[in-house]
Amino acid sequence: MKRLVLRSLFTALVLAACALSANLASAQNSYVIGYITDLSGPLADSYTPTWEGFELYIKALNDRGGIGGKKIDVVLDDDGLKADRAVAAAKKQVERDNVIGIFGLSLSSTQGPVYVEMRKAGVPVVTTFSGILDALPPAKPFSYSAGVVFEVAGEAIGELIKNIKPNGKVVGMTFDSVGGRAAISHNKRMVESLGYTWDEVIFPVTTSDFTPFAQAAVEKKPDIVVGHYGSGQNLGVIPALRRSGYTGPYVVASYGVTEDTVRQAAQRAGNDQNVYYVTRYSTVYDSNPAVAEVAAAQKKYGTSKPFSSMHLTGWALGRFVESALKACGWPCSREKLDNVIQTLKVDVSGLTGGPIEMSPQDHYGPSYWRLYVWNESAKKMEPKGDWLKKTALKFPVQ
Amino acid sequence: MEFAATVVILTCTYALLAAGIVILYKAGRVVNFAHGELAIVGGYVFYSSGLMAGDESLWLAIAGALAFSIVMGLVIYMTMMRRLVGEPFYVAILVTVGLGIVLKSAILVIWRAERLTIDVGVAPALRLAGGASLSYMDIVSVLLTIAFFAGLYLFFRFTRLGVQFRGTAENALLASQRGVNVNFVLSLSWVIAIMAASLSGVLYGGRAFLSTESVTIGLAGLTAALVGGLDSLRGAVAGAFIVALAQYLTVRLISPVLSEAVPFLLLLVVMSIRPWGLFGTLEEFDRV
Amino acid sequence: MSRAGTNLRTSYLESNEVLHRPYQKVLMAIVLAVAVLLPAATSTYFVHLLDLCFLSAIGALGLMLLTGYCGQISLGHAAFLAVGAFTTVILTVHVRAPFLVVLPAAAVSGALLGFIVGLPSLRFRGVYLAISTLAMHYAIIYLATSYQANFGSSATAGITIPDPAIGPFVLAGDQAWYYFLFVLLILITAACINLTRTRPGRAWMAIRDRDIAAQALGVNLTYYKLLAFMASSALASLSGSLLAYYSNVVTVEKYTLDLAVIYVAMIIVGGMGSILGALLGAIFITLLPFAIDSLFGYLPRAWRFGSTLFGVQVGAVGTCIILFLLFEPKGLAEIWRRMEVYFDRWPFRYRPLETVRR
Repeated sequence: MKRLVLRSLFTALVLAACALSANLASAQNSYVIGYITDLSGPLADSYTPTWEGFELYIKALNDRGGIGGKKIDVVLDDDGLKADRAVAAAKKQVERDNVIGIFGLSLSSTQGPVYVEMRKAGVPVVTTFSGILDALPPAKPFSYSAGVVFEVAGEAIGELIKNIKPNGKVVGMTFDSVGGRAAISHNKRMVESLGYTWDEVIFPVTTSDFTPFAQAAVEKKPDIVVGHYGSGQNLGVIPALRRSGYTGPYVVASYGVTEDTVRQAAQRAGNDQNVYYVTRYSTVYDSNPAVAEVAAAQKKYGTSKPFSSMHLTGWALGRFVESALKACGWPCSREKLDNVIQTLKVDVSGLTGGPIEMSPQDHYGPSYWRLYVWNESAKKMEPKGDWLKKTALKFPVQ
Repeated sequence: MEFAATVVILTCTYALLAAGIVILYKAGRVVNFAHGELAIVGGYVFYSSGLMAGDESLWLAIAGALAFSIVMGLVIYMTMMRRLVGEPFYVAILVTVGLGIVLKSAILVIWRAERLTIDVGVAPALRLAGGASLSYMDIVSVLLTIAFFAGLYLFFRFTRLGVQFRGTAENALLASQRGVNVNFVLSLSWVIAIMAASLSGVLYGGRAFLSTESVTIGLAGLTAALVGGLDSLRGAVAGAFIVALAQYLTVRLISPVLSEAVPFLLLLVVMSIRPWGLFGTLEEFDRV
Repeated sequence: MSRAGTNLRTSYLESNEVLHRPYQKVLMAIVLAVAVLLPAATSTYFVHLLDLCFLSAIGALGLMLLTGYCGQISLGHAAFLAVGAFTTVILTVHVRAPFLVVLPAAAVSGALLGFIVGLPSLRFRGVYLAISTLAMHYAIIYLATSYQANFGSSATAGITIPDPAIGPFVLAGDQAWYYFLFVLLILITAACINLTRTRPGRAWMAIRDRDIAAQALGVNLTYYKLLAFMASSALASLSGSLLAYYSNVVTVEKYTLDLAVIYVAMIIVGGMGSILGALLGAIFITLLPFAIDSLFGYLPRAWRFGSTLFGVQVGAVGTCIILFLLFEPKGLAEIWRRMEVYFDRWPFRYRPLETVRR
């Protein structure tokens, strides 16, 4: 028994090792692009629907005949939220699969190393969902983003709070991570410049109970509470805040927080009417043709995750890719794609407040943010105010 | 008032986890590093079984969690732990670590890493002074924990099986010579430990959320067990209380960010003064 | 000249040889030749993977000295990797120190911190020691997070470090790094082998087996335990620093408890108490996720795109660890030894009655 197990294990591993070192040939009659994201790690819940949204768009595009008759081949790899695996996957895709561009990526900690490696290899990388300052002016070559950059989000939220209450005390909460602290610091500067007072509560990444932190926040007597973290923390913090006696407005900063999470959290907190949501891309409750189109695609092809704003994010990236490849023509090389992206303007109306625009110095472009409020009786999110356009950081990072 | 309530509820979560670890250590001298994962998977099973018949059913959920504990306990003991008799202690520990990884992947594969919350009785039940409130779940969780520990006490003290259990914990060889079915007792220790863990997972899912990241509560439970004494149930409760209190005070009085490190720092202090824990027995440290 | 048969040694000089039998020398020559020629024969991607293996091997050797030879369980290895990386950051960014200064500096800072982390080992053993090293891990990571958060310019994605330069040569690209790391690894392995074959190694093994008896025999526990911690953390810091230069980006999120567990898995799967085990374990555990990825890559496209499969890959790593521990607790080194013995005795299957124990 033991020998059998050992020998089969050994054989499997030898085969795997051969598979690893082999050089694979690749098809040459389609556009080959790569997509690397977290499909099995801690944030798979948020990154998987983003990928699915992208996949839906590509599937629909291929069914329409592709671009000029050429289909799009997406090479998918999982990085498990580990920078090492992301970099290895990127190198593999560049070398063995011959991709002309890499898209998606996951949390900011994996983006930095991939950007650096792909800059050396001369492959354009466009991230969505999250983003890092490499894409903001002065932009680093080959690094682009269509996602949410912590610093920008922090400032945007600071401005949008005006729609809830024009003044008062704002308490920001986040967990102890570099991204969270960055968001908080920009949020703080923005609200203070608008006349609010500020305090903050930072808790560890892994906590057993959110109640003590909620109580610490409530103790500071906030008029508005803003939460800069992901789905799970919101689920824990919102009920904890209500349990501790805070009844005021709470703003969910959307770093991959789905509408479902907000719905669940509001329900847990006893049918809360005071939960707000700030996001770069629309929510699934928006009734406009673009969202309807994505919803139809989702029904047609099916996804494993429930329909959410993440799918819209991925779909927008799909739109971006189509525009880029169309402009690039055939055959498209990495350099050509990079040049094309640098001056790209993509119409994503309905999915966000305005087009995604890249320029040679600014690989992020203006971003549009909107405040929504959760309407418990109608069980949907409603926009509160119009889209806020952010063209640059008000408090640039030195 | 809300301070006391929060600390008590946190103690319950840790105490249940610590109890499981203590039971496993006492019976089989195994330090289970997969306890957090077992707790969270137990919570997931509870959630899914409750939804199995279409409509939310508490009884199905409980039944599912119980079945999970029994099956998992038997499988772990029979396939893995039993084979490791005689190996150095770190082998068993690393097997539990590997088990933890496998359980985490189960969450990914079966439940697609969905973030779940267990919303049984979260409506406010008791209004406290100052605007805070306790939910039904909070009250029930405290009662359940007390009931669990009382049950364990009665079991070990007054039932025949409990006495056999204590005998095996003292000296497994001698117990088996006297006719105790050691395999049965050890499997049972795993089953009970996983039941405690699942209960803790359910309570955690009620107050926070279940996901692949939540599994780190296992470490907090482990430190609570170590502070109280790795082989003392009384110590499990005491350790849990001290850790919960220390964490809470750190958050409110010092700095919220440090509360993650507090259990370990506390452990360092306790171990410098009394390495075998507050209520533990001084034993030959070689096996530890 | 060992005419007395391949098992017997006839002089002190011979007994000190690392490669004693002819076949060992031949094998080593073949391995070296393959290693030197490998980058030319395979893809850059594979060379990149091998670079990662070499980097982890350096860290694994450190942990093997501490846990495999000295018996002190440590879960703080990830923290020392972080120490090396952040020392590199501080020295390159603030002081602009050159590569050849930073590497030893990282090792020294690692050793210093190792001294502090090793202090609890004078009092605790086993699980308790592991947990106290865990406390140190959290403390160090907290400091690192604060540093990165207060870094000033954009550090959400990590802090960038330029490619290192040795004199006029810039060390960049997987191939160049491969040769550099290979030579470095050989030197470090030789150093570790020497450590284990001389007094520190013997003292460590005595401590591991029965420290009270060792003390009774005159082994200074304090000195050797702390030495083990310092050696281990120096190597870990070195590895962390090299990795920082290799990937050009340092971010604290990389150094999790999971990483420490992975290193422990490396030495256990490799085989505790053997240098070869550290190397084999490091290569095995580093390559395992990638190997499984590529195996799964042969499955039909439609299956791959369901994210469930990625969860299965994660589980496969855990299952491998469990299977190894259940069926081969002495690790890969033991399998290697069995193969050696098999070839050594061939065509006989059993040991001759009179033999000198190796």
